[in-house]
Amino acid sequence: MSAISQSSFKPTESAMEPKRFNWNNIIIWVLLGILMFVTIFPFYWVLRTALNDPTAIFGHASDLLPYNPTLFNFQRVLGMIDPTTFVGEGASNISAGSINFWIFLRNSFLYAGVVMIGQSLFSSMAAYAFARFKFPFRDQIFFIYLTGLMIPGIVLFIPNYVFIRQLGWIGTFQGLIAPSMLMTPFAVFFMRQFFISLNRDLEEAALLDGSTYFGVFWRISLPLMRGPLLTLALLTFIGTWNEYLWPFLVARDENLRVLTVALNIFKSQTPQGAPDWTGLMAGTVVSIVPTILLFIFFGRRVVDSIQFSGFK
Amino acid sequence: MKHRSSLFVLLVVALLLSVSAVSAQDAVTIRYVLWDTNQLPAYQQCADAFTAANPDITVSIEQLGWDDYWTAITTGFISGDAPDVFTNHLAKYPEFVALEQLVDLQPLVERDGVATDIYYPGLAELWSKDGARYGLPKDWDTIAVVYNSDLLAAAGVDPAVMADWTWTPEDGGSFLETIAALTLDANGNNGLSPDFDKTNVVQYGFVPDTMGGAYGQTQWSALAVSTGWTFNNGVWGDEYYYDDPRFIDTVQFWADLALEYGYAPSFEEVTSLGSSTLFQAGNIAMTMNGSWMIGTFLSSEFPVGFGRLPAGPEGRKSMFNGLADSIWVGTPHLEESWSWVKFLGSADCQNIIGASGVVFPAIPEAAGMAQQMRADAGVDVSAFVDQANEDGGTFLFPIADYAGEISTIMNEAMDAIGLGISKAADVLPAANAEINDLF
Amino acid sequence: MAAIRVTASPLVKPSLMSRIGNNQALLGYLFILPSLIGFIAFFAVPAIRSIFISFQEWNLLTDAKYVGLENYQELFADDRFWRSLQITVTYVLWNIPLQTVLALGIALLMERISNSPLLRGLLILPWLMPNVIVAMLFVWLLDPTLGLINIFLQNIGVGQQGFFGDPNQAIASIAGVNIWRHMGYTAILIYAGLKTIPKSLYEAARVDGANGLVQFLRITLPLLRPVLVFVMVTSVIGSFQIFDTIAVATEGGPAGATRTIIVYIYEQVFERRINMGMATAASVVLFLILVSVTIVQIRSFRGNQSDLADYS
Repeated sequence: MSAISQSSFKPTESAMEPKRFNWNNIIIWVLLGILMFVTIFPFYWVLRTALNDPTAIFGHASDLLPYNPTLFNFQRVLGMIDPTTFVGEGASNISAGSINFWIFLRNSFLYAGVVMIGQSLFSSMAAYAFARFKFPFRDQIFFIYLTGLMIPGIVLFIPNYVFIRQLGWIGTFQGLIAPSMLMTPFAVFFMRQFFISLNRDLEEAALLDGSTYFGVFWRISLPLMRGPLLTLALLTFIGTWNEYLWPFLVARDENLRVLTVALNIFKSQTPQGAPDWTGLMAGTVVSIVPTILLFIFFGRRVVDSIQFSGFK
Repeated sequence: MKHRSSLFVLLVVALLLSVSAVSAQDAVTIRYVLWDTNQLPAYQQCADAFTAANPDITVSIEQLGWDDYWTAITTGFISGDAPDVFTNHLAKYPEFVALEQLVDLQPLVERDGVATDIYYPGLAELWSKDGARYGLPKDWDTIAVVYNSDLLAAAGVDPAVMADWTWTPEDGGSFLETIAALTLDANGNNGLSPDFDKTNVVQYGFVPDTMGGAYGQTQWSALAVSTGWTFNNGVWGDEYYYDDPRFIDTVQFWADLALEYGYAPSFEEVTSLGSSTLFQAGNIAMTMNGSWMIGTFLSSEFPVGFGRLPAGPEGRKSMFNGLADSIWVGTPHLEESWSWVKFLGSADCQNIIGASGVVFPAIPEAAGMAQQMRADAGVDVSAFVDQANEDGGTFLFPIADYAGEISTIMNEAMDAIGLGISKAADVLPAANAEINDLF
Repeated sequence: MAAIRVTASPLVKPSLMSRIGNNQALLGYLFILPSLIGFIAFFAVPAIRSIFISFQEWNLLTDAKYVGLENYQELFADDRFWRSLQITVTYVLWNIPLQTVLALGIALLMERISNSPLLRGLLILPWLMPNVIVAMLFVWLLDPTLGLINIFLQNIGVGQQGFFGDPNQAIASIAGVNIWRHMGYTAILIYAGLKTIPKSLYEAARVDGANGLVQFLRITLPLLRPVLVFVMVTSVIGSFQIFDTIAVATEGGPAGATRTIIVYIYEQVFERRINMGMATAASVVLFLILVSVTIVQIRSFRGNQSDLADYS
C-alpha cells in the first residue's frame, strides 16, 4: 500500500527525480493491469457464455472461447425466436422464456429514473438542512435518520409490502417507487457528509449580499455540490436499476416488469435443475449495457464537475 | 429563484401521483402460478381449452423460478395478494395448512362427485389430512438411474446389468461393483483394480446428487427404504427414525462413495453447480435423479439412458412424489377457481400435458401418453414408469409438520457427514432427537 | 443540475418567500419535510411495529398473542442464533478491512491517472451487475471441477479449492465475491472525497518539504475523514446484512457455515411458518448491534467535523 500512497502524491509532472518516477510508474501500471484483469475477466466470461452453444454448455464448461459461437441466445432473450420452435424437444436447460426487451427497458428506466430524481433532490434538501440550518431537534432528527440505516432491510420489506397493499398500490408504478423515492438514510447521510466539508465563505458572502437561505442553497451550495450530487444520482440510478426483490413482489405485471425481474425466467425452474446459463448470461449482457453506457457518459460528467467545483 | 424550485418540486410530486393504476377487468380472471417454464406451453393449452369450455372465466398463468416461487406465495398470503390457484409441493403444503391458507376441497369434491380414484394409487391421499383435502393431483415423479451410454460402452458395461443389480449397506452389492468398474484413475486402472489410485481419478463411476438433507429424494432414500427402513411413523407422522442403524449405514455408504471408495466426486465438488451439471460435463458414468429431470439429461452432448434402481434387501424402492393444484383461501373467485382445479385434475387437461411429454401426469393413461411421446422420440423412460407401476415399488414422500425445522437440522447433519467432518453414527442420533423434540 | 434550471416565473410574491427563506427553523423543517414523510412511512413505522411484534407470537395471518420476552429467551437459547452472529462478524472482518484498503488504493490510483474516465467506468463495472447474477457467475467460476479459477489454481500447483463448498472457506469466498463487486464502487466514493481536497494544501506541504507519505498521513487521511467515516459506516452496516450472495451461492450451507444473521431471520419467516416474533426479535438484536458499532465508529473517527475548515 505504501508504494501507491507515496507515488500518488508525487507531483504529476516528471520534472523532479525522473528515475524514481519511472519506477513508481511501473508499479502503478502492473497493479493497474492486475486490477483490470480481475475486474474485467468475469465480464468476459459472461459474454463468452452468452455466445456459447446452449446445448453444449457443460461439456465445454471451462473453454476460454465460446464453443460453437452463436447469437441464438441473444435472439431468444430478445424474443426474436418463437420459443415453441425449441421447447418440447426435451432441452429443459433452455428456458422457453423470452424478454419483452423494449418494454422492460422502458420500465427499468422509468423506475430508476424517477427514484433517482426524487431521492437525490429530497435527500439533498434534507442533507443541506442538517448541515447548515439551525432548528430545534435538528441533531436528534438526523440521528434518527442515521439509525434508519441500521434497520435490517428484511424487517422493513414485509411491513412495507403490506402497507403498499393497503394503499392499493400493488401492481402500480407508485407502489414500485414509493419506498425509495422520498429518501434513503444512505442518500441523506452521503450528501450531508459533503455539505459539511463545503467551505462556508461563498455562502456567507451571498447572504451578506442579501440572498435568502433558499437562494444560497439553490444557486450556490447545490451547484458546488454538482460532483457529489451527480455521483449520488448515478449510484441511486444503478442501485435502483439492479433492485430485485421489491420490483419482483410489487410489479410483476408485464407492463411494469423491470429487467432484473425479467431475468428471473432464466434461473433454475426446478428444485434440482441448473439455470439456463447461456440465456441468463445473454440476458445479463442485455440488461447491463444501458447502465454501462450511462456510466461511461455520465461518469465523465461526474469527474468533470468535481474538478470544476470551485475548490481551487 | 425560490418559487421556481418549489414549482419544480410540486411538478415532480404531481407527476408521480398522476401515474394511475391499471384498471380492473370485467370477466373473472383466475390467477394461476407454476414454477417450470417448460411446462408453461402445455398448461397454457389447458387454460385455452378451459376458457373455450367456460367463456366467462379466463386463466392468467404466471411462471416464477423455483427459488422465488415460495417467497412470492408466502408474501402473497401475508398481503392478501396470493394467486387464486397454485402448483403445490408436498414439502411445503403442511406449512400452508398450519397457516390455514388452503381451501379444503373435500366438500367440493363430494358435492360435485369428483372421482379421486382415477389417479395413481396413493397420490390423492398425499393431499389429505384428517378428512380434509388440500389439492387435486396433477403429476408424479419417481427416481431412476441415469447413465452416460458412451462411458458404459467404453468400459464394456452392458446397461442390462441394471435389470437385476443389487445393493446392501454392508458391501454395496453389484451396484457398487458396477460403479467401481466405471471409475478410472489417471493410470487407466478402474475402481476394481488393486492399483486403483483414488487420489487421482479422471472418470467417476457415479455422482450423488448432494447429501440430500431430510428427504434424500433423489439421493439415499431409494437405498435406505430398500433396507426396510421408514422415515417416520406414517403420513403426518410425529416420530422420525433417523437414528435407525439401517438408515445410518445407508447414509454412511452414500457419503463413502466419495470419502472412502473415491468412486464419486466429493461433496464440495457437487454442491456448487449441482450433480446434473457435473454429469453433463461428460466424465461421470452414472447418477440418480428424478423423472422431472429427463428433459435436462436428454439435452446432454452424449447419449443418455435411464436404468432401474438397484434392488436392496427389500426390493427396489423409489420415492413417489406428486404435485397438486391448491386453492388459496383468500381467493375472491372460489367457484371459478374450483372449476379450474377440477379441469386441471381431469383427463381433459392431463392428456394435453401427457402429450407434451414434459412430466408424467397423475392419471395413468395420460402418463402412458408421456411415456409414448418419449418412446416416439427414441427415448426409453420405462425405468421411471415401471417403478411407479410395480407392486410395492414406491413409498410416499414423508409429509409432516415442521418441515422447515427438520430440513435445517438434517441439512447440517448431512453436510457434516458428506464433508467427512462427522460419521453418520455420531451425528444422526442427536439430530433425530432434536427433530422428535419438535413435536 | 443544469436540467433543473427552469426559467423564473413570477407566480409567488417574493416578499413572502424571502420571509420564509430567511427563517432558518421554518426553512429547515420545509427542507426535511419530503424526506421525513418517506422516513416515517417506510422506515420508522415498520421499525417501531417490529419492536412490538418482537413481544408477540404472530404469523401475520392469524391473531397475535402477547408473549412478553419469550421470543428473546428462545432466541438467546438457540445455538444457531449465536453461531449466526459469530459467522456474521467473521464475514464483516473478512469483508471490510480488505475492501476499504483496496478501495482507498484504487481511489489513489485513479487520482493519479484521472484523465481516464474509461478506467473509472471499467472499475465500477462489477457494481453494475445485479448481485444475484454476480453470485451465480462466481458459483461457476469458483466451482471445484468446472470453474476456471479452480482449474487455474490446479495448473499453478495450488490445488483444488472447495470455496463455497468448503465450510472453512465458504464465508471468506462470499466476502471475496462482494469485495470484487464493491471495491470499485467504494473507490468512486472515496475518489469523490479526494477531489474535494484543495490541491493548494499539497503544494504548501511540498514547499515545507513533506514527502508523499507525510502528505498522505497529514493531509489526505484527515481531510478524507467525513467521506471515510461515511464509507466505513455504510459498508459495515451493509456487510452485517449480507444475504443475496449467500442465498444464491450457498443457501446458508455447507453444514450451516454461511448462516449469517439475516439468513437466520429469513429462515424464521419463510421456513418457520412466518415466525415474525422470532424474526423481529433477532432483528432488534441486530439493530442494537449496528447502532453500537456505528457509534463506536463515529466516535473513533470524530466524523462529525471536517478538518477542511481549519485549513481554509
